[in-house]
Amino acid sequence: MTPDTHRWSLSPFETARAMSTNEPQPKTAEDWAAEMAAVSRCGDRDSFMRIYDHFFPRVRLYLRGQGSPEAVAEELAQEALLRLWQRAGMFDAGRGSLATWLFRIARNLHIDRLRQERYWVALPEGAEPAEDPPDEPYSRAESYADHVDLARRIERLPATQARLIRMSYFEAKSHSEIAAELGMPLGTVKSGLRRAFLKLQVEVCGGAA
Amino acid sequence: MTPRHHLDEATLVSYAAGALTDGMRAVAATHLEACGHCRAQLAGAERIGGVLLSQRQPTDEPGLLAQLREAMLARLDATPQMRPTSTLGGDDDHAASRVTGTDLLPRALHPYFGTSWRALRWRWTAPGVHMIKSSRPSGDNLIMLKIAPGKSMPVHSHGGSELTQILKGAYDDALGHFGPGDMADLDSDIEHQPVTSPGVPCICVAALDAPLRFPGWFARKLQPLVGL
Repeated sequence: MTPDTHRWSLSPFETARAMSTNEPQPKTAEDWAAEMAAVSRCGDRDSFMRIYDHFFPRVRLYLRGQGSPEAVAEELAQEALLRLWQRAGMFDAGRGSLATWLFRIARNLHIDRLRQERYWVALPEGAEPAEDPPDEPYSRAESYADHVDLARRIERLPATQARLIRMSYFEAKSHSEIAAELGMPLGTVKSGLRRAFLKLQVEVCGGAA
Repeated sequence: MTPRHHLDEATLVSYAAGALTDGMRAVAATHLEACGHCRAQLAGAERIGGVLLSQRQPTDEPGLLAQLREAMLARLDATPQMRPTSTLGGDDDHAASRVTGTDLLPRALHPYFGTSWRALRWRWTAPGVHMIKSSRPSGDNLIMLKIAPGKSMPVHSHGGSELTQILKGAYDDALGHFGPGDMADLDSDIEHQPVTSPGVPCICVAALDAPLRFPGWFARKLQPLVGL
């Protein structure tokens, strides 16, 4: 049975319910950029809440992976989405996807939180340079195709390299921590990450192929 | 100043992932401020983060999510949107605004060493060598070094990963010439003997990725002298 025939076999009630779920179909990077444009242009709450519904659970999950306790992950994820609302006008779809922008916001909030916990001091605003997008124009805009290619390429990484990438991004483990945990020489961890990165870069920059 | 020695891709990935120690992160960020090549590379590493973020498959917790959603809607009322004209870097860095021009330290170092070159308090460490340890509690692994011109450091290798960013002056070793803006992102198995260039002192900022380890830029025989 194809998905289509399945859809037509739903009762009217089921159909209505299926269509009213938060995400009837996956959105592309371009769709998110359009939602962001509406948030920025006229403070469109419906657009913002569609972004929220999709990304909030993902950001929260990401922050939990970083080691934040449940309550902190919730709070920081809310903060990340609120910043997206506040700073929507600064989002530039030509420079990267919304997912990448949000990733950076969440990562920086998490780093600042860790530092504040460690020192019990607030850092000066803007002390985190990753917070400021560099002036450097990206070589070219990140398109939906890039996003899909990159996702596919990540899936095709050899198991060890995929593990190194996931331990870095999802668990924020340093090279030494990864080396200790996997019982690998430090040099092997670094060369594995280096190779993984180069493979993923080929896909983003060589998209013409 | 166009750097010729860059961050290792493995370091860029960890920077993008938020997986560097504070000290390593500060040194890498100092290089990124000076290096367009590495900023472009970083953008690539952050895209990986974006894709991984969107691939996460959250479990369904409708009750909790509905609650948080309501809380967010309430906060939107209280939160004005910033004007698109103000730049993201427009958050006033009060400390930095008082220090300008050539006296301004790289921004990434401000939380650790202050904002001003002139205000740095160098401590004599060994003949021809001055040092400042980061003023922050975690700063065991983050230092600034000032080595007199024309000085040869003893041969040494590194126990862990080490990042060294050259701020002023220069040195040469088997890996090449390192001048202002250059990054020495060294693997643990590299043995080298830096010789600082004549003229001005070589000033750099260095960090190890393991806390409580002293950067190998110094010979280990110097460690007793500085009490680490």
